[in-house]
Amino acid sequence: MVMLEENNILEEFTDREYEHGFVTDVQQEFIPKGLNEDIIRLISSKKNEPGWLLDFRLDAFRKWQKMKMPRWAHLEIPDIDYQDIIYYAAPKAREDRPKEIDPELAETFEKLGIPLHERDVLAGVAVDAVFDSVSVTTTFRKALSEKGIIFCSFSEAVKEHPDLVRKYLATVVPSGDNFFSALNSAVFSDGSFCYIPKGVRCPMELSSYFRINAKGTGQFERTLIVADEGSYVSYLEGCTAPMRDENQLHAAVVEIVLEKDAEVKYSTVQNWYPGDADGKGGIFNFVTKRGLCRGEGSHLSWTQVETGSAITWKYPSTILKGDNSSSEFYSVAVTNNFQQADTGTKMIHAGKNTRSRIISKGISAGRSQNSYRGLVKILPGADNARNYSQCDSLLIGDKCGAHTFPYIENANRTAVVEHEATTSKISEDQLFYCNQRGIAPEEAVGLIVNGYAREVLSKLPMEFAVEAQKLLQISLEGSVG
Amino acid sequence: MEVLTVNRGCVLKRILVYGAGNNIPDDLKNAGWLDVLPEKLVLEEDSHAEISIFVLPGFSGNIRLTAEFAGERADLKLCGAYICTGEDRLSLDMEVRHEVPGCHSDQIFKGLAAGHSRADFFGRIIVAENAFKTEAYQANHNLLLSDTAKVDTKPQLEIYADDVKCSHGATIGRLDEEEQFYMRSRGIPLDEAALLQIMSFVSPVIGTVPDGPGKDFLVSEIEQMSRNLLNAGKTGQVD
Repeated sequence: MVMLEENNILEEFTDREYEHGFVTDVQQEFIPKGLNEDIIRLISSKKNEPGWLLDFRLDAFRKWQKMKMPRWAHLEIPDIDYQDIIYYAAPKAREDRPKEIDPELAETFEKLGIPLHERDVLAGVAVDAVFDSVSVTTTFRKALSEKGIIFCSFSEAVKEHPDLVRKYLATVVPSGDNFFSALNSAVFSDGSFCYIPKGVRCPMELSSYFRINAKGTGQFERTLIVADEGSYVSYLEGCTAPMRDENQLHAAVVEIVLEKDAEVKYSTVQNWYPGDADGKGGIFNFVTKRGLCRGEGSHLSWTQVETGSAITWKYPSTILKGDNSSSEFYSVAVTNNFQQADTGTKMIHAGKNTRSRIISKGISAGRSQNSYRGLVKILPGADNARNYSQCDSLLIGDKCGAHTFPYIENANRTAVVEHEATTSKISEDQLFYCNQRGIAPEEAVGLIVNGYAREVLSKLPMEFAVEAQKLLQISLEGSVG
Repeated sequence: MEVLTVNRGCVLKRILVYGAGNNIPDDLKNAGWLDVLPEKLVLEEDSHAEISIFVLPGFSGNIRLTAEFAGERADLKLCGAYICTGEDRLSLDMEVRHEVPGCHSDQIFKGLAAGHSRADFFGRIIVAENAFKTEAYQANHNLLLSDTAKVDTKPQLEIYADDVKCSHGATIGRLDEEEQFYMRSRGIPLDEAALLQIMSFVSPVIGTVPDGPGKDFLVSEIEQMSRNLLNAGKTGQVD
């Protein structure tokens, strides 16, 4: 009886609607469906790209044609027809006011809580807002450029800072790195570019917000962050999409280069449409994110809160090349209903005295499958390398699964690697304890889950932490068991 | 496939030694210490199995076992210690499948890799959808004793039921220098200190062997081999 009641509470707790599921009605420009060299040339010409970038795209496309979709993840991915996707969709500039942001778009982002006006609401955050295939606007550009910081859309960067883009593009994630990075390199439409010059501490949080709106499209954005010697930046990324019965593909690439003593904090709150309660629709989120700690003493910190997407395939990684460099990975991945997630990190230790730390918290509810997959690799030259990994899984309900697949490879005698993982459920004792003290079961689950994820949430920048906490609660609504 | 079934309510205790050669006393040979693991072990209701595996230097190969719980309330304890030197290539592949509720499994594997050896540990625990009240634990700890040895470990948990307690832990490290300093400052030479560290490292596995001539043989064998390792490369490092 108690069990039954508890299950009901959990179910109620995990049933809820996706609140960012609306569609914005703007005039959009599409290119024809399908993927071939002509389409790539068309995308490139739409963006007035230089020849070298078109060559880069075509080269990637040729590599992609020879590659096969990876099947090693613990995911059931339906076949994707790559010819049935529109690879470029952009809101049309209004003829009457070509220079201004379409009020419809501004309203969309306003609704999502991302103000495009430099106002006081999120005054501490500069935003690059990407709508389908194009960047709508980038705020605070002027204020940042006074410090020498470049923060703009990728397309603008190609025009205004071609040398920098050319120097760093695909140095961390080569175009042929994997199936999805090759696809992205061929058709990427927009994204953010950020360069922090020597010794500059970025005075505000930089952020990219990705919104998929158009039907039948995919989003393929590219982010490139370069932190020069001794610089610091905190970067946030958020995303949402409308509710649709079809699956939409999102294949992004994020590259981060860190020079000597640079520090980058990269936070993601991923809230793509996860599909409905029957597992219909939702975004396929197949993302390659990688940072290269090229200089000595550099530090890269990944924080991710993954609550959305029908399928997530994502492994933010760090290559610790510079001596004394370090990296952290903090992750909370929540899956509910029929969501599937296979996510984790890779830490490649190449330099001496490199350190890494992995904290991963998986929460599965409904009929979802949630996997942690991580690689810690110590190369022979990585003397005194140190890694600590902790992966905890929380199961809510008896139909879901939680899996842990760590790969640990050590070829250096002086390195020390530790990994531990646990799997458990919210115990009846914990719930009882809360209930007894007047905390309703649903609230109690929220409380317990938040406590469980606290270690990760506390690493998020403040504005995001509040948002993430709420999101966590909503994602699990109706799942208590 | 060779299948060994532990019948309802029965108890199975096995000790298996790989790479012992002809050193091993006859009565241990007769007790089946040189046997090979079955590919599959099936545990029926209320059965109990304890298997200890020792891999001594000079052995190369793949040791694999799939243990499956077919009846409730069964219990499995699976232990292993492996020492790899020279050009040894060892791969251990352990899979424990909890198909029914209420079973308990506990695994502990300890490895030492020296010389140019390579040790791979692959351990998977699967808990099926209806296998409630499962308790499954696995630990894999390794020490790298030389710059040219390599250890890979891939412990995996695949869990499809919620009312379970499962954990795994894996480490790859070196002999702790602070412990060595502690002992040396009390007059224990470095080699002797390192030997004590190694012996205490593998002792949880040796401890599963009942006292008697068998245990004495294993202890002296492992001690001798560790001594050889340490002598081969002074200062605690082995090539």
